[in-house]
Amino acid sequence: MTERVRRLYDLIVAKEHRRYRHDALAPMAEDFARLKAPPLLRMARRTAAVLQAETAVILPGERISFLRTVPKLPELFAPGEWEEIRRGHFIHELGYVCNISPDYASTIALGLGARRAEVEARLRRAEAAADAEGRLFLESAIAEIDALLDLVDRYRDEALRQGRTDLAETLERVPRLGARTFLEALQAFRILHFALWCEGEYHNTVGRFDQYMWPYLEADLASGRLDEAGALELVEEFFLSFNRDSDLYPGVQQGDNGQSLVLGGMRADGSEGFNLLSRLCLAASKELKLIDPKINLRVGSATPTEVYRLGTELTAEGLGFPQYSNDDVVIPGLVDLGYATRDARDYVVAACWEFIIPGKGMDIPNIAALSFPEVLLRCARRDLRVARDLQVAPTFEAFFASVKEELKVECSAIAGGIRNLWMIPAPFMSLLMDGRVEAARDISLGATYNNFGFHGTGLSTCVDSLAAIRKYVFDEKSLGAAELLEALDRDFEGRDELLARLRYEAPKLGNGESEVDDLARQVLDAFAEGVAGLRNERGGVIRAGTGSAMFYLWHARGLGATPDGRRSGEWFGANYSPSIFARLKGPLSIIKSFTAPDLGRVINGGPLTMEFHSSLFDGEESQNKVAELVKLFVRRGGHQLQLNAVNREQLLDAQRNPEAHRSLIVRVWGWSAYFVELDREYQDHIIARQEYLV
Amino acid sequence: MSASGRIFDLREMTVHDGPGIRCTVFFKGCPLSCAWCHNPEGISFEPELMVRAKGCRNCGRCREPCGHPDCAELGRSLGRDRGLGEGRCLHHCPQGLVSRAGEDVTAEALAARMLELGDMLEGGGYTISGGEPLAQGEFLFEFVERLRPSHVAVETSGFAAPEIFREAMRRVDLVILDLKHMDSAAHLAGTGRPNETILRNLDELVASGAEFWVRVPLIPGYNDGAVNLAATARRLEPAAGRVRVELLSYNRLAGAKYGMLGREYRPFFDEAAPAEADLSPFRERGIAAELKR
Repeated sequence: MTERVRRLYDLIVAKEHRRYRHDALAPMAEDFARLKAPPLLRMARRTAAVLQAETAVILPGERISFLRTVPKLPELFAPGEWEEIRRGHFIHELGYVCNISPDYASTIALGLGARRAEVEARLRRAEAAADAEGRLFLESAIAEIDALLDLVDRYRDEALRQGRTDLAETLERVPRLGARTFLEALQAFRILHFALWCEGEYHNTVGRFDQYMWPYLEADLASGRLDEAGALELVEEFFLSFNRDSDLYPGVQQGDNGQSLVLGGMRADGSEGFNLLSRLCLAASKELKLIDPKINLRVGSATPTEVYRLGTELTAEGLGFPQYSNDDVVIPGLVDLGYATRDARDYVVAACWEFIIPGKGMDIPNIAALSFPEVLLRCARRDLRVARDLQVAPTFEAFFASVKEELKVECSAIAGGIRNLWMIPAPFMSLLMDGRVEAARDISLGATYNNFGFHGTGLSTCVDSLAAIRKYVFDEKSLGAAELLEALDRDFEGRDELLARLRYEAPKLGNGESEVDDLARQVLDAFAEGVAGLRNERGGVIRAGTGSAMFYLWHARGLGATPDGRRSGEWFGANYSPSIFARLKGPLSIIKSFTAPDLGRVINGGPLTMEFHSSLFDGEESQNKVAELVKLFVRRGGHQLQLNAVNREQLLDAQRNPEAHRSLIVRVWGWSAYFVELDREYQDHIIARQEYLV
Repeated sequence: MSASGRIFDLREMTVHDGPGIRCTVFFKGCPLSCAWCHNPEGISFEPELMVRAKGCRNCGRCREPCGHPDCAELGRSLGRDRGLGEGRCLHHCPQGLVSRAGEDVTAEALAARMLELGDMLEGGGYTISGGEPLAQGEFLFEFVERLRPSHVAVETSGFAAPEIFREAMRRVDLVILDLKHMDSAAHLAGTGRPNETILRNLDELVASGAEFWVRVPLIPGYNDGAVNLAATARRLEPAAGRVRVELLSYNRLAGAKYGMLGREYRPFFDEAAPAEADLSPFRERGIAAELKR
């Protein structure tokens, strides 16, 4: 980190930049309501008002400017109006367009001036065609562009006032005109990204930064305008910009802001994308150790080992980056869902891990979640109870078939509940999405791809329950169906031995046992088959996935005890992971189990997460082995993987909430242990040692 | 008939136990009883009861009579004299804290179990550790043959009959020798055994021409001084270029498992003392050496 970037870093980490924030704007919703203003108009008016209210603030020494000073956006709708809208529509999350990947590159290259001319030309055609909706949309886009360019001019003037002619020159050029240099392209990105948040969209992802920015950097390096060190400095300053306003961004938790950046992977033309800029991004993230932007690394069979090495070095920092996704599985999986091959090759991740197409996808990959354990429990209560009453024991296969059938019924039911989707219009976002200007229609109404994705939560809880039922009820017959149901109804009260057997002695997903892994494969296949053939009202398909988002807590809270020995309300594993109390043999068995299913069929996304003690990353030799482990996952057909070097905070949390960290493994010299099972003294020691490690 | 042996643990992705991605099996029972042993359940050749205290809510259910034959066996053999009461039920703990260290298994079954991961051990293989693997020679050698053609390493104290040690050298790809002290009296004091047998075996290993690893667990004030390290380096000098030496810093977690076995960890040395090891005696002699945290 250079001294200049260090000063900016210190300022932002100390949150000193927040002192420039001023009071919220006056409310606007009641006026809008009185005028019965259409939503597009409200959006244009509000965004313009926010941009006008923004103060130009230039932090000392910065070369990439723009800082939010208006912390809160006024409401667009009066409470009564919003209730009315909700009553008649399916509203996803906050109602805004979110979780998509804009095409920044085209506008960075062309400039907002040229884009404005394009919108204006289209507006003339809309006027000629008496397309009132199109006119309103296009006029809104123009109003927002103008308000943004006005703010850019005020930033330029402020730069001049401070004697920062270099910055003023940059702002004189971009984003009004096309960027010519790497620095100009970064500044242009910053302004476009800034505008999206001011419009109210959220989880605004960064996309394939190393691909669309590379031509600028390549030209600068070739002309001698920049060297590698200079480029790294700019990337670091640029990365810092993601951490300035992020506390203002909506999310379930702080940090859940969707600033995902994707590196490497196959390019649309089939060539390998990992380049010098990818490398500089990994280096910048490693040095800054900040939670944004979130680094994703696309890999595949063609990826050189060195890329895995660089990724592992970053994992060792304990940030939980990078998240890996496997092109060999993801791209064909997306093609199978109907994505064009060139688009599939260009995939990125949404806020967390959902695979989406930049510029073209208005997919809502997190629109709903299916709880595998809930479906399992429903079937157990229905089918096993019937079997008991009739004194007929069906086979396990018959029971499992009914579970798979019920999964399909559940998929249809969830899909059927999503009707009349409505999103708040987003004219500026529309400008950054393919074909919206030409169509003269807002992105909230759809784009090239309009697919929905369903999370699948609690897979391991469901599979472990199935394995326990098969083993104890059907194979061994050591446990009656009625007895099991009664124990579940009583949350295992008075059934300690049964509880211990189900929790710690029963077969578990993640132990590399093919009979159990095969259950997981079949459950996921049933999920994929359950959504296959379903269409949403926008003509899109439904994508099945292995992610959970926060549903591993939300679904689990309301769910009674399950046959795997999970007590009522106990959490599921997050995303695509083993059950949290499962005692497993180790990472190799976990990888073996979790690469057994046909993951190309459940390609909405959702990573296998594995946590390792930071000491596993000590030394080059060990890091090489971790890199090999990631390669192994990729070679075996895993789709997405996240490794964590466990850090001190996590260990402290484990002390406070041991139940939530039961599967947290620590390496203790020549042996490994479950952290929560160590005596306090030893835990404290590991925590103390963390200070040196991380 | 496959030979039967006793193990106490299986671990995957053991990055420190040899080249590449590996799995390690720990044989139960060791003729040494090092004061600093971090795997105390590996010392006794008998099965043992382990009760993890962390997470215990003292519900007392594991103390109620249960009638399981395996619990009764463990309770009779160990429970009373280890301060674990009348033994414990292995199958009742709601937290899963009660377990048995010591599983009897045939070489055939163990090899079959481990070979299930055979296609995942990139550039690596299997390591047999302990306890002292050479103390179960017949079982060990059959097991090694059944793991072939995978890469196999053995981690040993070197305390074994010369013919067993020789056989091990002949059969495995890599010997990892844990060397505690070069002075026999000190060795006896720290481990309960003198070191003549070990040094004789070490000399054979040095003379064999094979590549091997030597690990020295650094015990503050006991074996981390210049005299012992220089003596170690001298002994290894003829193997320079073939031997890799790892000095392992003393880890204060060594005593973590004693409480689980109803035993007390009583180190005779100062655990808090800084273990600063000088690698120069090795490097001066052209021996590859590193200090591991």
